[in-house]
Order: sequence, then C-alpha cells, then structure tokens
Amino acid sequence: ACKGTHPLDPSRSLKYCLVILNQPLDKCFRHLWHKAHLKACADGGANRLYDVTEGERESFLPEFISGDFDSIRPEVREYYAIKGCEIISTPDQDHTDFTKCLEVLQRKIEEKDLQVDMIVTLGGLAGRFDQIMASVSTLFQAPQITSLPVIIIQEESLVYLLQPGKHKLHVDTGMEGDWCGLIPVGQPCNQVTTTGLKWNLIQFFFSFMDRTFGIIAKHSVQPFLWFCVLETYLTFQEK
Amino acid sequence: MEHAITPLEPLLPSGSLKYCLVILNQPLDKCFRHLWHKAHLKACADGGANRLYDVTEGERESFLPEFISGDFDSIRPEVREYYAIKGCEIISTPDQDHTDFTKCLEVLQRKIEEKDLQVDMIVTLGGLAGRFDQIMASVSTLFQAPQITSLPVIIIQEESLVYLLQPGKHKLHVDTGMEGDWCGLIPVGQPCNQVTTTGLKWNLTHQTLSFGTLVSTSNAYDGSGVVAVETDRPLLWTMAVKL
Repeated sequence: ACKGTHPLDPSRSLKYCLVILNQPLDKCFRHLWHKAHLKACADGGANRLYDVTEGERESFLPEFISGDFDSIRPEVREYYAIKGCEIISTPDQDHTDFTKCLEVLQRKIEEKDLQVDMIVTLGGLAGRFDQIMASVSTLFQAPQITSLPVIIIQEESLVYLLQPGKHKLHVDTGMEGDWCGLIPVGQPCNQVTTTGLKWNLIQFFFSFMDRTFGIIAKHSVQPFLWFCVLETYLTFQEK
Repeated sequence: MEHAITPLEPLLPSGSLKYCLVILNQPLDKCFRHLWHKAHLKACADGGANRLYDVTEGERESFLPEFISGDFDSIRPEVREYYAIKGCEIISTPDQDHTDFTKCLEVLQRKIEEKDLQVDMIVTLGGLAGRFDQIMASVSTLFQAPQITSLPVIIIQEESLVYLLQPGKHKLHVDTGMEGDWCGLIPVGQPCNQVTTTGLKWNLTHQTLSFGTLVSTSNAYDGSGVVAVETDRPLLWTMAVKL
C-alpha cells in the first residue's frame, strides 16, 4: 500500500527528493525545496530554477544537474558549476532527461544511504504534448529505476502511477482540490474497483463510458482487484 | 486501404480544405482568427465561449459561433446571454457521462448532416493544456470520435497537434511549411505491437510501442515531407505546429 502522504503538507514528516523539470516553477516550489533531502534539475529545469531565484540563488543550489544539456543555458550551467553543483552529462538519446535524472538520483540515494520515502517531480505536465507523454512514460519506467514512489506535480495537477495491486490513497491533508481521476494510459484496465470516489468504478475503459455512480463505502464488497496499470491524480491547492 | 491527411492543412492561408471548428475551454492561440474565418461551421464547448468572448472584445459580432453546447457549468452568464441574443444556438448537453467536447462533436455531426455540409475535417482548439484529467479527457474523446463522425478530428493548442490514427496505413503529409521540429507516436490506449514508419528521423519497423517499453517522443522528420505509419492498434500522432 502506498503511503499517499502529501509532500506539501507542512506538518507531515515525509522525506523526499526533488526533481525539477523544464517547466515554469509553481509557488509551492519554495516550500518543497527547503524540506527536500536532495535536489536535482533535469537539463532546462536548471534554467527555471536560475530565473525564479534571482537575488537568492545561493539558497537554491541543487546537488546535481543532469541531462544532455541541449536546453540549459551556458551561463546557467556555468553558474551552478562554479557554485559546486555536480554537472552530470547523460547524453543517451534513447531516454529522456527525466528518466536519466531518476537514474542518477537513485544512485546518489544509494551512495549517500539516504532514507527517503518519495521522489517529487515538478513540471512535466504542460507544454509540448509529446513531452507531457514522455513524463508519463518515465513513470512507467520508474519502477525499474527506483523502488520509491515518483509523483509529478505541475500547477494544479498531480500524477502518480498505480501498479497492479491494491492501493490506499489518503486524501485528507486539506490540500486536495476538487477533482481527481483514473486514467488507463498504456493499456486497458479491465478489473478496477474503487471506494472513496464520488463515482466509484466497477469497470473502466479508456472511453470514460462505464463509470458507475456509487456511494462512499458501499462498493467495498468486492475485493480490490486492480489487474492493470492505472494512473491517478489528485489536485491540490497551494497554501 | 490507406488514409491520407495533411494535418496542418487548415492552417494554410491558401488551403482549400473544408473544416468545422470547435473551441474548447483553453486560451485561444493566434492561429484562431485565421482558422475562424475559413471554417464552415463554428462551435464552442461550454467555457470555450468565454475564451471566444474575451479574445474578440471590440469585434465580437464578427466571431459568432453557430452554436454553443455543454452542461454550462463553465460559461459565464453574461457570455451565454450575449451569444443567445446574437442568435447563436445554445444547446444544453447535461449528460455527465461524457465531456462537453464529446457532446459537442455529437451536436456538430448532427448539424453537418442536417445542413448536408461537405467538410473534410473537424479542427479543435484547446484541450491539450491545463488540468491533467481534462487533457486526458480530450484524448479520450478522440477515441470516441469514430463512433460519432467519420471525419478526422484534430486538436491543436499552442505548438502541439494531436490526431488519432486508427489501425491501418496512414500517409501524413508534413510539407505545408507550418510543421515545427518535433513529432511523436504515443500508444495511449494500449500497446501497438506492429508499428512501421517511414519519413521520421527515427523510424520503426514492425516494432512495439508501449508505455514502459517504447514511446516515440522528440522524434523528427527525415525531410521527405511525408510520414507513413502502419499500426495494428489506435496510435496517437502528435506534432509541432509553427505558430
């Protein structure tokens, strides 16, 4: 079962690493930064960090910046290199900067023997459509890279991939917004059961056509049979 | 049978493609004005009417849709009133099992048949940004579209276009000059086990595209101006638009 604890909740003691992708940084970034046990940027994510921390850059130095460096600006790369951030080239064109950054991150976590619970990623859910899909694709590859849950947050959306099995998502931090959903990206999910949603599911196809209206707790008669990979997301409101 | 399409043909200033335009609830891009005037039928899905209203301030009477449909939980009351007064049909589609976009396509197809319109494509603006669940819902509508209309449905927002390739062979003409650098093939709904392409920088030969195995993103063109794709399952084509 997944912890489901929300990294944005200031009162929780969740330990996490932070990955910054190449998208505008949200307000929640500052709070997330200071509580993160390890911070990294994937390529152009460093540009975003550099620009949004003007005047206080020395308080926002990532442990490393990795990527094929076709996005990071030369002056940004130089700045962080001079400040002692590790600059790690990951030129492999068969994988995205995000995927490769997770690989480097996992290596660092092991080297430093860091006890962390989650990897929080900022960005990746807006901009070029192919890159949004690439972010989702990285979530599918993440279990081969790390055993830690990987979540992605951008603006008001959070995305998290549920592996086959049973999951309990605690959505009571107070930071949850109004909407949520389950998206069978990658393949149909033929046996889905939920409780706790406004419209609980007995069967769910990509066409969104088979939603079943349900009352909370009344549909827990069936065992939780999740035979496929799903994706769920919860909104949150920034404090 | 091979399907041929020039995805960016609607954007050509001199193009003769006949299309309908659907506006969803996202900021409207610059290309909207060009697309509007050449469209044979224009419609807004719910909050899409807000976007149209706001961006056409001062010249709203030149941008009146044939209809606005939806469950109307997004359209502002003054916007709805304005377009109603101006003679635009306001069509309530309250069914909560389908999105405003899906229901708008249904209404659109009905209108096309009623008016016996000869059109070649449905162009949708918006739907690829904002709330993640709504982006996915837009993609989901593309899966439902073949049950609603036989017309190809494309979605454009900012620099991205998406178009769902049904199983079979496709020729995508990418030589309008409006194509940007990147393109991709995304097996959104299920693995595509036999995918073959030509015309891309990184082509596929009877390969599997699947989340967790291989997803083609940040691909590019080989310069030939034509991309051929053969797929055994529905496969989402995405490409950059030079706006």
